[in-house]
Amino acid sequence: MTPRWIATGLSQDLPKAVVMAGHWQGHDLAVWRSATGRLQAWNDRCPHRGMRLSHGFVRGETLACIYHGWVYGADGGCKHIPAHPALTPPATITVASFACVEQDGVIWVAPADMAGAPPVLSDLQPLRSISLTCDVAAVLAAEPALQGQDILRATVQIGEQGQQVCLVAQEGPAGLTLHALCGVGADKVAVSRWVEDLRRRAEMKVAA
Amino acid sequence: MIAQQVLNEWYPVAMAAQIRAGQRRVTQLLGQPITVDLQKGAIVVTGQGGALHVTEAFGHVWACPGTPAHDLFPIPEALEPGRRLVDVGVVRVKCSPLRAVENFLDIAHFPFVHTDVLGAEPHTEVNRYEVQIREDSDEVWATKVTFYQPQAAKSAEGGIVTQYMYRVPAPTAAVLYKTCPNRTDAWDVIGIFVQPLTEELCDVWPWMALYDDVTPQAELIAFQQMIFLQDRSILENQIPRLLPLDPGMEIPTQADLTSIAYRRWLKKRGLTYGAQMVAA
Repeated sequence: MTPRWIATGLSQDLPKAVVMAGHWQGHDLAVWRSATGRLQAWNDRCPHRGMRLSHGFVRGETLACIYHGWVYGADGGCKHIPAHPALTPPATITVASFACVEQDGVIWVAPADMAGAPPVLSDLQPLRSISLTCDVAAVLAAEPALQGQDILRATVQIGEQGQQVCLVAQEGPAGLTLHALCGVGADKVAVSRWVEDLRRRAEMKVAA
Repeated sequence: MIAQQVLNEWYPVAMAAQIRAGQRRVTQLLGQPITVDLQKGAIVVTGQGGALHVTEAFGHVWACPGTPAHDLFPIPEALEPGRRLVDVGVVRVKCSPLRAVENFLDIAHFPFVHTDVLGAEPHTEVNRYEVQIREDSDEVWATKVTFYQPQAAKSAEGGIVTQYMYRVPAPTAAVLYKTCPNRTDAWDVIGIFVQPLTEELCDVWPWMALYDDVTPQAELIAFQQMIFLQDRSILENQIPRLLPLDPGMEIPTQADLTSIAYRRWLKKRGLTYGAQMVAA
């Protein structure tokens, strides 16, 4: 499988000092933003007892595990073990990092050594992320106007007007997620309803 | 293929009072379907190959699918007059039965998982304690464990430094002894009896033997259930679900001495149902 950038969420859904679950091609990630806004994507597992770090908590520029409070700094290294406050944790205790870039309001992840930048989605504004129980093929079948494989684009008639719609696909353990963007100045509520309708139509394709 | 030493151990399969009240329990043990019911006044556990060895103790029904390697372990305190024995009920958890036991032996998580009840920052330090595998009884014991607790029990008022002892008398059972807020000369006793449904799914039966004549039964049960439901949010989110016995897979510290001993004890005795032997 060729390493590539995968969209794992929208910037607007990850405020400062918050952590969320992310995925990159079968790898579970903890994606988090520090108090000053620094964005990171890590392997979603505390090396101590295997707890998901996406259940943890952000304090300042660190992410802590919810199980025993082990604190990890910006470089992924363990900085503090609360059960042993006087101990300097060995430098060998680290969490693996992924490349994580925010662009056009979308959070993109890739392996740490990924070269190049994520695809550009200019003249669009982020709308919402939506989960589906079907695959991309069903989405394309439901709306033939959509073009593309991972980044689906179309100009669709919504109400009186033609609207630009862009759906960035992400396959995760729980199924497909589409990160939806729309044209700048578009009626976000109307496009959001259209996306929900698309989901209904795509999921019915599978059921049928 | 399940190892013979695993089959020869005792496992909790039901609450005795429920079976005696006529509630038949259709469940699983080590991945096999079993039924627990009352036949002519006796509790019987039936599997696909016929009747299993059965014993009744500490409010629960215990079964052995093989040939029992020994009698079920004793909890002498359960027989002391004046104690209240509390069957808490059952909590189903999507994790290895061994992970459920290991979490019960852990103190360092109290400030983060049971915040402001069994622990609170900045009181996070785990002082050195003693761990041994007792040769006579073949049990794991941790002693001289101390920890600061804001509300150690339903009957506790305000924070106290609680003393603990932990004991693993069977692969899927653990018992702790902790400072009794009402008495200086006795320990409260709390157990968890874990029924291995499969290697990655278990039913956990907490049980208590307390000196507490005041707190209503419903409140005692609600307190213990709240604690265990907080633990479940951890147990269902550990990766992998199986308990790793390969020392390279996870990183213990001095605070984890009981867990280290428990893992070694399981490995040495070949009690590896629910364990991961090599990193996946």
